[in-house]
Amino acid sequence: MVASRLIAKLQRYEGWFGIAAGLLIMVGLYMGLVTSSPDYYQGEVVRIMYIHVPAAQSAMFAYTVLFGGSLWYLWKRDPVVDNMCHAAAGIGIFFTAIALVTGSIWAKPTWNTWWTWDPRLISFAIMLLILVGYLMLRTFLEDKEKEATYAAILAIVGFIDLPIIHFSVEWWRTLHQPLSISTRGVSIARDMLIPLLLMSIGFYLLFAYMLMVRTQMLYLQHLLEAKRGRMLSKVHL
Amino acid sequence: MHFFNVIRWIAWKDLLSELRNRENISSMFFFALIVILIFSFSFSLDPKTSQELMPGIIWIAFGFTGIIGLGKSFLAEVHNDCMEYFQIVPAPKGAIYLGKFAGNALFMLIVEVILFPLFILFFNLDVLEKIPMILLIFVAATIGLSALGTLFSALTVQIRAREVMFPILLLPLAVPIFIGAVEATRGVFSGDPLPLYSDWIKLLVVFDLIFMVVSFWVFEFILDY
Repeated sequence: MVASRLIAKLQRYEGWFGIAAGLLIMVGLYMGLVTSSPDYYQGEVVRIMYIHVPAAQSAMFAYTVLFGGSLWYLWKRDPVVDNMCHAAAGIGIFFTAIALVTGSIWAKPTWNTWWTWDPRLISFAIMLLILVGYLMLRTFLEDKEKEATYAAILAIVGFIDLPIIHFSVEWWRTLHQPLSISTRGVSIARDMLIPLLLMSIGFYLLFAYMLMVRTQMLYLQHLLEAKRGRMLSKVHL
Repeated sequence: MHFFNVIRWIAWKDLLSELRNRENISSMFFFALIVILIFSFSFSLDPKTSQELMPGIIWIAFGFTGIIGLGKSFLAEVHNDCMEYFQIVPAPKGAIYLGKFAGNALFMLIVEVILFPLFILFFNLDVLEKIPMILLIFVAATIGLSALGTLFSALTVQIRAREVMFPILLLPLAVPIFIGAVEATRGVFSGDPLPLYSDWIKLLVVFDLIFMVVSFWVFEFILDY
């Protein structure tokens, strides 16, 4: 089981990931909230970006990890990879929710509405629904191996669907009304870029740290269940 | 030939059992009928607003119908312990999927074709010459809905909260079908020329193709998990 060995090896360093994430996020937050200049158009509201953008990136990264892990699981049937997918989905919900909430708070002063039918908003909302459905499906299935396989299938189908949802909504809205204000094409000032980069890297590291801890927890939980004798034959140690 | 025979026999088996007990189609039909009636009570529709709202109402009704019908797709197999036979039958697993899919799509289409005249009746629509185009949209959207629905039905049929889980999984992923179908139907109803809404039909066709291929591939994993 190549993947489980790799995960075990990385987990020796998980503390460093946590510390690095904490430091980067602290420095990034200080720079973003205190030292960087307010935006010319958006004013102080722009500072939400330092949380919103990294959270959105990490959420998408979490789903990508979930997708890759699900493919890997269907191929190799490595139960540790399944634990990792399970962990990635839960953490993905956390980051997706942060991205949606901060985006909504940002949209109120900027677009003058809490919610609009913007393709990015819709695809994130649907991503949240898919991830919640994923975890629900897992809790309802009793057989561990069946749970892992069915969940992996759902994750793969959902991942393929997300870009289609994004484009269909984008298409739908552009036919009805022009897209809301887009920051595309506006180059970003250096004193805004550096905190944003720090926060992005910090959030990725935070995701990695959370993923390692949660994977370990789920793995130990399964081990415990196995030791209780319920599914001794199905855990490959 | 073997591959297509499997598809044909499974679809035929579903059709035959449906012809004998008429459970699925009648429950789908009456459920959709009730949805339509409730909509016509809750909006007091004049001809102009009904043109505006009809596409949405039609696809909400058909979507719910699909949930009723598709969710039960593998129930007979589970009750009769046939899922195990699907696992051991010496046939390509994808063919079993396509057979179930064909049966489901056919049931849904039958219900839609019976319901559509009622829509025209209840809401005073003037669409007689547009029927071929509307049928095309029905077929394209129904294929996509059944492709996903058959897959998720197989995923959820053996769990306790089947009735809840099936729509929770299916509806978010079916968003492109609903957008495409509603927009295309609206285009037809408002008498737009074809190029204005043909892109939506293309979206439906692309969705159908992608999810038939994906489901065809992953169905094997569902059966021999």
